Amino acid sequence: MGSVGAMVKGASYSYAVFCGSFLGSPRLGFNIHNNKKKLLKFRSFSSKNTCCSLQPPDVSRLAKTAQISLTPNEVEEFAPKIQQVIDWFGQLQDVDLQSVEPSIRADTENNLRENAPETFEHRDAMIGAVPSYEKPYIKVPRVLSMD
Amino acid sequence: MILTLQTPRPLSRLPRFLPFSTNASITLNQSQPATSTSPSPPHSQILSTRHSLLSRQFSAADLLRSHLHRLNLIEPHLRSFLHLPDPADLLAQADSLDRRIAAGEDVGPLAGVLVAVKDNLCTSDMPSTGGSRILEGYRPPFDATAVKRAKELGAIVVGKTNLDEFGMGSTTEGSAYQVTANPWDLSRVPGGSSGGSAAAVSARQCVVSLGSDTGGSVRQPASFCGVVGLKPTYGRVSRFGLMAYASSLDTVGCFGSSVADAGILLHAIAGHDRFDATSSNQDVPNFLSHFVSASSFESKPLKGLRVGLIRETIGDGVDSGVISAIHSAASHFEELGCSVNEVSLPSFSLGLPAYYILASSESSSNLSRYDGIRYGNQVYADELDSLYGSSRTNGFGAEVKMRILMGTYALSAGYYDAYYKRAQQVRTIIRNSFKEALSQNDILISPAAPSAAYKIGEKKNDPLAMYAGDIMTVNVNLAGLPALVLPCGCVEGGTAGLPIGLQMIGAAFGEEELLRVGHIFEQTLENCSFVPPIVAEDIAS
Repeated sequence: MGSVGAMVKGASYSYAVFCGSFLGSPRLGFNIHNNKKKLLKFRSFSSKNTCCSLQPPDVSRLAKTAQISLTPNEVEEFAPKIQQVIDWFGQLQDVDLQSVEPSIRADTENNLRENAPETFEHRDAMIGAVPSYEKPYIKVPRVLSMD
Repeated sequence: MILTLQTPRPLSRLPRFLPFSTNASITLNQSQPATSTSPSPPHSQILSTRHSLLSRQFSAADLLRSHLHRLNLIEPHLRSFLHLPDPADLLAQADSLDRRIAAGEDVGPLAGVLVAVKDNLCTSDMPSTGGSRILEGYRPPFDATAVKRAKELGAIVVGKTNLDEFGMGSTTEGSAYQVTANPWDLSRVPGGSSGGSAAAVSARQCVVSLGSDTGGSVRQPASFCGVVGLKPTYGRVSRFGLMAYASSLDTVGCFGSSVADAGILLHAIAGHDRFDATSSNQDVPNFLSHFVSASSFESKPLKGLRVGLIRETIGDGVDSGVISAIHSAASHFEELGCSVNEVSLPSFSLGLPAYYILASSESSSNLSRYDGIRYGNQVYADELDSLYGSSRTNGFGAEVKMRILMGTYALSAGYYDAYYKRAQQVRTIIRNSFKEALSQNDILISPAAPSAAYKIGEKKNDPLAMYAGDIMTVNVNLAGLPALVLPCGCVEGGTAGLPIGLQMIGAAFGEEELLRVGHIFEQTLENCSFVPPIVAEDIAS
């Protein structure tokens, strides 16, 4: 494949310049256990965390909100992993983001169609896939419960 | 869930349709054996297929049988496919095409081309599971737009490929059904989440394939499997029929064994779709004009092109073999007449947590539709809430559940500002930094992954370790830019080495330039025919 080539000839570097300043670029990461690479360093957030008002994730409650019935085993298994990832998310708290506009997505054009209803051509097939259908209702078990 | 395959019909007169041993005027290596001693990489399997079919050298039916033979031979080792249709159906399509060709009718640019489709793209005539049990056996009532367009142009869909469940993962170990193996070393992962699509092209089970890329799910497996992977600009290809994972990041992408093939497939599926409000009205340029033979290149065909190598991607934590391969690629660019400089994107490392916040949050919302009420697998209960809870816990795998929970947390009342909004602000910063870098460089380059393919099981229980591997790719999704990955070198491992992919990033809607440059880079790379040993053996036997 050829030898490692000299990368920079005549050393011209270009730096990305953008508005706002960072409180240093967080050299974030964590140890990758198997090969000890320091690609990303993990920072655990203790009480020095600027965002102490955020409660740690309560997996059982989250599961209820997300309508997923977890077994106690699953709650036990997931909780530390989720905690670890949420902690890792926390590093964004340290970044100075004042006066930076949030982006919903990449630039896209305004492509709204006319506000005119039309029947989707595969409607019948979609209705056909419903497990419990009594025209025109989709039948479900009782909604209200005592708790 | 693979259907039991019929035994392939006896193959009487079986021409070997292999990308490196076929005909004539289009390809560069005429009668070279398909090993690493081939002097130059294949030009375009799609173009040579077309030439063979139109000149009646081979029939579409023969081409199909040859591929199916290899597909079935390799599939027990590879497990690329979740669904394979009845071969008789495919042969009927091929026969119909042969009749039309014989009658002198016009046929589309993908006529007779075998396309594999990732199982999170809806196909009405085949099950579409998204790699999940919750959609086991589900048949959508419509085709995804990308699939529909490929079929309209003559493609034959040869099967649905394996993926990490709903696109969440980087290895296919997250599939509810099976783990796909890397054709270069069967004990290693093919990458993910489009691992099945990448492996299928790499092992020449099909010609091209469709995948999806939300955080690198086309580019990383392309790198691991030694094939070309193309992620288009967000909005270039319709997402209608792509099972949504993160709606602001998802794209439909293409795999091929050459830049030309990936580009021809992209051209077929790109363009505005009224069923996708985020799809762009911008014209799709004629990429095909750039896929010319290397013999027509000038001596410095990329003279004047400014290439920026992202400094943050060749430092700590990246395999030395990968860095070496990228430096060699940079030298190759210089030989072609480019000026290569290092570029720094200081916000680079923030992209990974920002991506995972955005992706988890959006996926928690998108996956709420899987409730067992209107489609998908239902676990009945007397109360609606319990029905939801049981159906979803039964149907979703562990990684999907965790991401939904993380997303639910990040979007909880009071937490939006701390996580989701901040991640969107980081997205703005990353977009701007790319814009700045691309105003001073024509393309940016980096590795597609910090290492070559790793062993199956190596990162399975450590989510953060797996997420770390996405560092090269996620920023491109946050910025919505196009990127092309092509094999540029190898590192030690397996029986014949493991491929390394070079990622090239372009400006928004700059696919034409990426393909032009990528094609020239690929066609001038010496002594590189990225064919995995499992395929080379098949040819030798």
